[in-house]
Amino acid sequence: MIGRLSLAARITLIVAIALLASWIGIIVLLYWLYDTDARSTATAARQIAAIADLLERAPARERGVVLAAVTSDMLQARVVPAGVHLEPLDGPRVRDERTVQALSAALGDRLLAIGLPPPTEQQKRYPRLHAMAANAIELRIGLRSGETLVAVKRSPLIVNRSGTPLGLGAGLLGTLIALVALVFMHRQTRPLARLAAAVDRMDLAGTPAALPRSRTAAPEIKALITAFNRLQVRLSQLLRARMALLGGISHDVRTFATRLRLRVDQIPDRVERERAVADIVDMVHLLDDAVLASKVGAGELQEELLEFKDIVAAEVADRRAAGARVEMTVANDLSTALLGDRVALRRIVFNLIDNAVKYGQRARLSLSRDTQWIVLLVDDDGPGIAPDKRELLLEPFVRLEGSRNRQTGGAGLGLAVVRNLIEAHGGQIRISDAPGGGARISVMLPGFALRSA
Amino acid sequence: MIEKIRVSGPMHRILVVEDDPDIGRLVADLLRKEGFAVEVAQDAAAMDAALARVRPDLIILDLMLPGEDGLSICRRIRVNDVLPILMLSAKSDEIDRVVGLEIGADDYLVKPFGPRELLARVRAVLRRGTAQPSAPPARRFAFDRFVMDIDARQLASDSGEALLLTSAEFDLLACFVRRPRRVLSRDQILDWTRGRTAEPFDRTVDMLVSRLRKKLEAVSPDSNLITTVRSSGYLFTAQVKALP
Repeated sequence: MIGRLSLAARITLIVAIALLASWIGIIVLLYWLYDTDARSTATAARQIAAIADLLERAPARERGVVLAAVTSDMLQARVVPAGVHLEPLDGPRVRDERTVQALSAALGDRLLAIGLPPPTEQQKRYPRLHAMAANAIELRIGLRSGETLVAVKRSPLIVNRSGTPLGLGAGLLGTLIALVALVFMHRQTRPLARLAAAVDRMDLAGTPAALPRSRTAAPEIKALITAFNRLQVRLSQLLRARMALLGGISHDVRTFATRLRLRVDQIPDRVERERAVADIVDMVHLLDDAVLASKVGAGELQEELLEFKDIVAAEVADRRAAGARVEMTVANDLSTALLGDRVALRRIVFNLIDNAVKYGQRARLSLSRDTQWIVLLVDDDGPGIAPDKRELLLEPFVRLEGSRNRQTGGAGLGLAVVRNLIEAHGGQIRISDAPGGGARISVMLPGFALRSA
Repeated sequence: MIEKIRVSGPMHRILVVEDDPDIGRLVADLLRKEGFAVEVAQDAAAMDAALARVRPDLIILDLMLPGEDGLSICRRIRVNDVLPILMLSAKSDEIDRVVGLEIGADDYLVKPFGPRELLARVRAVLRRGTAQPSAPPARRFAFDRFVMDIDARQLASDSGEALLLTSAEFDLLACFVRRPRRVLSRDQILDWTRGRTAEPFDRTVDMLVSRLRKKLEAVSPDSNLITTVRSSGYLFTAQVKALP
């Protein structure tokens, strides 16, 4: 399922999940801290009560030392002389109720006032900012001497008036902005999708058609498209050069082979003459196999709607006429319509019969069809093929004797080409044992079924 | 080793058109030994000169020649002559395509060939005698429940009812009818219906095909005359019969 997600969707998903995870993490952390905050309230109340006691007992000149001793980042304490006007406090925030009750209980009637500290000069200039960063509580406690102890207790978290951490809103806003940004980013990746589609349609055998250049695409993508166009031209030149080379070699070798074939008839010894003729035939077949294999690679096969049994029957007749022992069984009313290249399909059947006759003296062909596949079985009377050698045999230039002995013919390209061609037609080839003990090669080719649309 | 049966009656004249001098000489020697009068031409111009001097009974024509190639020569001769032609080709798959082209050669032989094979074909073609001049390419076709007339640009159903096709739809259908049961890519269809344009208009073909399908299916429902093949192209599935 993940394989179907587009690049933009993946990035969207990654960013969204990361944002969501950090968001949830922060909220969990926050409530965990709140809880410790509540637990520390009792301690704080006792601490403040103790400070008040200490200040009352301490001589006037020692008060400075006591205040310095208790002041920290979390708690600030100062003593305001009697009669000095103190600004009224804002009421406590909703979430501080519990803290307020705990403090009231601990300090009793000594508590004069509790609430948000009045804004400083700087905070007054940015009242909204001050309102957002409300993480402190001010306590005013009457001392017996008539003075007032002002203690400001700070929470380690910066929290706004509704009790949520200050960063939460920013995170939410950031998420929304990121989502909008992702929509735009998605538009940026669209040229990539179009490029991929265009590359898929690329026909290297034909005239290279330049891929569309998007004017609005990012420079990197434009560069990519330009690079693809250059690559396409180079590949197409390479491919055409290779096809031309193979075509040229094929033509020239056939010309030489023709001369040779005509001259070979001058050889007086019959056995030698027949061997020479067989060599020439094998040589030309090898060349045909190579040319056909390169055509498969270049996507040069031409598809037609064909009756496979006609092709098999024609090849069988040809081989029988040449004296090979070939049998064929096929139901007359069998429909073997398929889409394929005429030349390639004939080569498949030719090579299979050739292989069976060469290594197994006799070829028995049978053709059948199930709902989807046309199945051709080719059995021979040979020694069979060991299971561990089967896959190997379908690789180019592998022959079972392990020697490149021309006496037994073939350079080992035959079955590899067959596999190549069958796979190019969407089919499969398998090697197994024939019921009679020889080798059985099963070929499955997709039958043609009419579909609308 | 070579059959020594001579062709009875008057000596047959054979013109060999082959650019490879060695093969030309070997084939000529072989045929002369069998009692034929042989002349060798290396290209189309030499062949024309030889034809002007004396009319042969058979031309052995190589497909690949410098200058005008064998296909074109064969077509040119066939326009107004019944002279038997035996084609030679150095490309095995080419022959398969050539047969489909119906250019009017009487027989084909793939290089490399043996002397027996060549002699057998030569004798068979000579026995059959003069070839029929090839029929001009058909201009009327019947398929499924339709009759199509290329010249009159008309498509009619078997009940005689004429179907209204736009010019582009008719060209597309003509393209399919001329190449039945072959998978045609969108590019090929564009090439054949309107010539290569700079920009590929994939969607144009798709839209035309879908419009044409609707019109054909109105007359012949569920016939699936035009099938889409693995998103690579289209296939005209009907058997097409050329009408006189």
